[in-house]
Amino acid sequence: MFKKSFSYAFALLIVASMVLAACQPAQTTPTEAPPVVEPTAVPPTAVPEVPTEVPTPEVVQTTRKGGWLDEIVFSVVGADSALTQIEAGAIDIYANGLSSSDLVAMNDAGIPYETASGLYYDMLYNPAGPEFSDGRLNPFSSRKIREATNWLFDRDYLNQEIYAGGALPKYFAITTQFPDYADLADVARKLESFYAYDFDKAKEVIDAEMEALGATLVDGKWTYNDTPVTLILVIRNDSDRTRIPMGEYVASQFEALGFTVDRQLKTGGEASPIWIGSDPIEGQWHVYTAAWSATVLDRDQSNIFQEMYLNSSAQGIPAFLDNVSDPEFKELGDRLASADFSTVEERHDMMARALELSLQDSLQVFLIDGKQYVPHVEGLVATADLAAGVEGSQIYPHTMRWADQEGGTVRWATQDLFAEPWNPVAGSNWSFDKGVIRAVTGNDVVYDPFTGLVWPLRLESADVVIKEGLPVAKTLDWVNLSFEPEIAVPGDVWADWDATAQTFITAETRFPEGTTANAKITMHYPADLFETVKWHDGSNVSVADFVMAMIMTFDRSKPESAIYDEQSVPTFDVFMSQFKGMKIVSTDPLVVDYYTDTYSLDAELTIPLIWPVYANNVEESDWGFIAIANAAEAGGELAYSVDKALAQEVEQTSYIGGPSLEILAKYLDTAIAEQTIPYAPTLGEYLTAEEAVARYEALKAWYGEHGHFKIGTGPYFIDQAFLTEKTATVKQFADYPDLADRWAGWSTPKLAAVELDGPGQVKIGEEATFDVFITFNDEPYATDEIKMVKFLLYNASNEIVKVAEAVAVEDGQFSIVLDAATTSALAAGSNKLEVAVVPLTVSQPTFVSIEFVTAQ
Amino acid sequence: MEQETQAGVLSVKKKGTTSAVSRVARFMGVRAITLFFTVVIGIYTTIMIANMGGYVDEIKRNDIRERVNMQVAQMTANKSGITTEQRRELADSMVALEVKRQGLDTPFAIRSVRYLADSLRLELGRATNMVSDNGSREVRNIILERLPATLLLMGTSQLFLFFFSVLIALTLSRAYGSFWDKMVITLSPTSAAPPWFYGIFFILIFAAIFRILPFGGMVTAPVPDNTFGYILDVLKHLILPAGSLIISSLFLSIYNWRTFFLIYSSEDYVDMAKAKGLPSRDIERRYILRPTLPTIITNFALLVIGLWTGATITETVFLWPGLGRTIFRAIGLFDTPVIVGSTIIYAYLLAITVFLLDFVYVLVDPRVKVGGGK
Repeated sequence: MFKKSFSYAFALLIVASMVLAACQPAQTTPTEAPPVVEPTAVPPTAVPEVPTEVPTPEVVQTTRKGGWLDEIVFSVVGADSALTQIEAGAIDIYANGLSSSDLVAMNDAGIPYETASGLYYDMLYNPAGPEFSDGRLNPFSSRKIREATNWLFDRDYLNQEIYAGGALPKYFAITTQFPDYADLADVARKLESFYAYDFDKAKEVIDAEMEALGATLVDGKWTYNDTPVTLILVIRNDSDRTRIPMGEYVASQFEALGFTVDRQLKTGGEASPIWIGSDPIEGQWHVYTAAWSATVLDRDQSNIFQEMYLNSSAQGIPAFLDNVSDPEFKELGDRLASADFSTVEERHDMMARALELSLQDSLQVFLIDGKQYVPHVEGLVATADLAAGVEGSQIYPHTMRWADQEGGTVRWATQDLFAEPWNPVAGSNWSFDKGVIRAVTGNDVVYDPFTGLVWPLRLESADVVIKEGLPVAKTLDWVNLSFEPEIAVPGDVWADWDATAQTFITAETRFPEGTTANAKITMHYPADLFETVKWHDGSNVSVADFVMAMIMTFDRSKPESAIYDEQSVPTFDVFMSQFKGMKIVSTDPLVVDYYTDTYSLDAELTIPLIWPVYANNVEESDWGFIAIANAAEAGGELAYSVDKALAQEVEQTSYIGGPSLEILAKYLDTAIAEQTIPYAPTLGEYLTAEEAVARYEALKAWYGEHGHFKIGTGPYFIDQAFLTEKTATVKQFADYPDLADRWAGWSTPKLAAVELDGPGQVKIGEEATFDVFITFNDEPYATDEIKMVKFLLYNASNEIVKVAEAVAVEDGQFSIVLDAATTSALAAGSNKLEVAVVPLTVSQPTFVSIEFVTAQ
Repeated sequence: MEQETQAGVLSVKKKGTTSAVSRVARFMGVRAITLFFTVVIGIYTTIMIANMGGYVDEIKRNDIRERVNMQVAQMTANKSGITTEQRRELADSMVALEVKRQGLDTPFAIRSVRYLADSLRLELGRATNMVSDNGSREVRNIILERLPATLLLMGTSQLFLFFFSVLIALTLSRAYGSFWDKMVITLSPTSAAPPWFYGIFFILIFAAIFRILPFGGMVTAPVPDNTFGYILDVLKHLILPAGSLIISSLFLSIYNWRTFFLIYSSEDYVDMAKAKGLPSRDIERRYILRPTLPTIITNFALLVIGLWTGATITETVFLWPGLGRTIFRAIGLFDTPVIVGSTIIYAYLLAITVFLLDFVYVLVDPRVKVGGGK
């Protein structure tokens, strides 16, 4: 009897525990691997979200060189269990980031996090029509209907309901946290106010336009030629899955207007043949729940209007090609894309007008600027690039540390590792792989994670000369900017490469008639560069490393080359259309001149990277490795790119593991035995056979000790990598030339905390003064670190009546004076004063507002 | 007369032997051809399904365009002077290269036949999107690299499950109605929950709450620096995934075998053996196991080749680097060479097993004859 009861009790216990476990909150889905582009949005009337609660450590002087940490251990963890593992102490950071759907869980658990740009979401309309080829009506052929849908969707509601309030409402293609939005903050706020959610207004406009198109409202349903107007809404049901509720909301809003909606839930793979692959006039879709991402902090989004709205968009997607835009918008967008402006002010005005016209066009109606969250344990300092997060930030190896100690280990978890072979030329470009590579890589400059500008890492200074009339400005002191009417390219500079003779072609040969450039950049390196900066295998950086990188810019794209790869040609062609020449002016100290037609609005970003970095300016390599990898490719045993590897049926070069290593080791031995100087007709001028062998021997010793060929000049080195186990350990590089605290000031973004103080009641016709207090970490924000403080005055009807700049009083304080004339224009009632503070140190503006009453 | 008779017997015997050889040979030939065509049909069906009859080409083309557009936007960010036409030409060239690389410039019908012919010759080729962990694109390496981890997890769990279930079931079949018999019956519905469910449950208990076992993976990071430590670490990581695979099927498996054995345990000749006083072990071995051997062997053989498929979701929950995840990923990436490569190996293994089982049945059961002749 007892046994029977025990059986039943035990069975019940099992069943109950299963039921309870099943009642746990649903597991989250992994975040999708990020692609690229750029967004915009409208922050609410409050201080923007602070990325993390981690306190900035008191950084004291240190004698430590290289990274703050002794080691970082990289491993793979599923996004589903990342938060649990952080809570359980199994990992310290989930660097790949989580989506907004995890925000509530993060907050509930009290787990600190950093933020970065996530996906940004919009509704993309099919502009074909007004009738499809089968005679159905396409309402979205009408710009006015598309524009009116801006009033139809409540972006705040979407943010709160779907993104737990962690995202930002978005109206524009430009990105909210990028410099252009900060520059246009007042214009943006004005438009955001105008296009705020207003269902009745949307209905009024859409009703009128539908009737004008010949549709009829029958029993509350729109019909055309006696057939219900059915909108095909393609809703993505994969990715972070937030587009499902968003699509449902959009569908319900259209239904409320009288449309019939055909919801088609599809994966990205299923949806792309419809919205990308089909001819819009076939009418396979009306609306698509699109999403884009911005993984580069783009300081110049001039081309975004053409890219995201116009039929001249380089995207080449039929929906864009079929869009007939307002001629003014088309001209403006194309001019902005081709940088057809001569001053920063002119560009500002053009961008402001384009913002307005983009909402009138609304081929895409932007809704949400998503965020990505990088959770970590308390006490860990991790710098997040505003666009690229922690994993994608170049600065993280220099700033990541434990708040209360030097040294220690960080257990870094990410989505995957070693997804593709690693090589410096055309290897893995996955963000999680690059996360490891960044820790061991040096460069000319470091990208500022908060502004997108660059600071010198190995460079000392740069002189940028720009052709007069081009709108280039500088922000940072390490760059000297000047203008000249014409920049002639000297005949003796290297302008191309002869792959047969293995020598550079000079400008006088390439341009017999002579040529000019838009920019000349002279880069100065410190005098002790070649003594202080070392590769991880102990070799000193040399001029040959630079020259090898210069040669490799050309050689792979030359059909006569032994390592020719057609995969490299398209980007090379674009490069050559802009490149005019370069010259090593001096080797001690190293000084290089560079001539190009490419420029950026920022002089800092016009500076090319000639440090020995290769693919995407992330992969650093010494000339020794490149020499043996080139030999292996020339020998038909390996290939840098997957394209060539597949075509030639060989393995892709990898310096980190796999079948490549044995082959590379073989060629290394050959290079030692034959005392090979690669590209001898050119590199022979910078390298002796003895120096070459010494470099090879150092690399061989490194390979023997660590089992891979990856060396760099970064603050850490790769000690071990296990490809099947998907884990790697990087350790502090003690021979790194810089102190660990060199970049300590970039640990946390200097987001401005703003308070607005002023009278609650203002008498009409009398002057009123408001004070703006700006702080960071409770300290006054330096005036010279603030780009501008603008205010917007709204009247009782919520219309903007004045936009102007506040006046600096002292560090951390600005003043706004509403003169008598201004207050006279206000009617009695409740008014609002909104302030936008735009710092120079971080491209994220802060908005605050205050309400006051006007009376006679 | 006697001699004639003997000669006649010999003649009949020889004729009989020749007839048996011919029957077996005919059977083998027909069976081999049938199985081969079954494999061909199965593989081509797999190719067609994996490519949605060629529609995947359309998906891939558009996916390439979308990705390239984003790459170009990233590459040209912060760069004035590069015209729209140049960006578009760059995108078009990159799209063309990628289309060529993925073989989309060849019609699917031709590619599908090529996939079939190559796979039947076991020329597995190179993956279009996937790489092995160590960076190789050869399908053979991609599969072989994951095989040890799969065999370790699936082999440990499934072999334990099989032998443990059979042994316990055999015992229970002779203890019908006992406490343990009832216990197994009571617990058998627990197998309704899949292994990954137990996996999540186990992770919560043993990794998150008690923190005595790892959340997942096959080895701790950093990897132990000596072989013994490595083996111990792998075994530690094996406990939860193998445990969840075992627990999720254990009771139902025992229940199945126990019911199966129960039928044979109730046969008259078993009762007769009992009445004769034969020891239990002899009864189990000679009177219960013997007639059930073909079924046991069939199950075992299919189980062994079933190890090849891995346990996709359980491997995913535990981040176990097994074949199941690889194949699942290949399906998601429409990587036909990897899908076809793993399928053809499974198909050949299955065909060979089915082919051999007919002969094994003859060896273990004298009532069975190859080809069904008399």
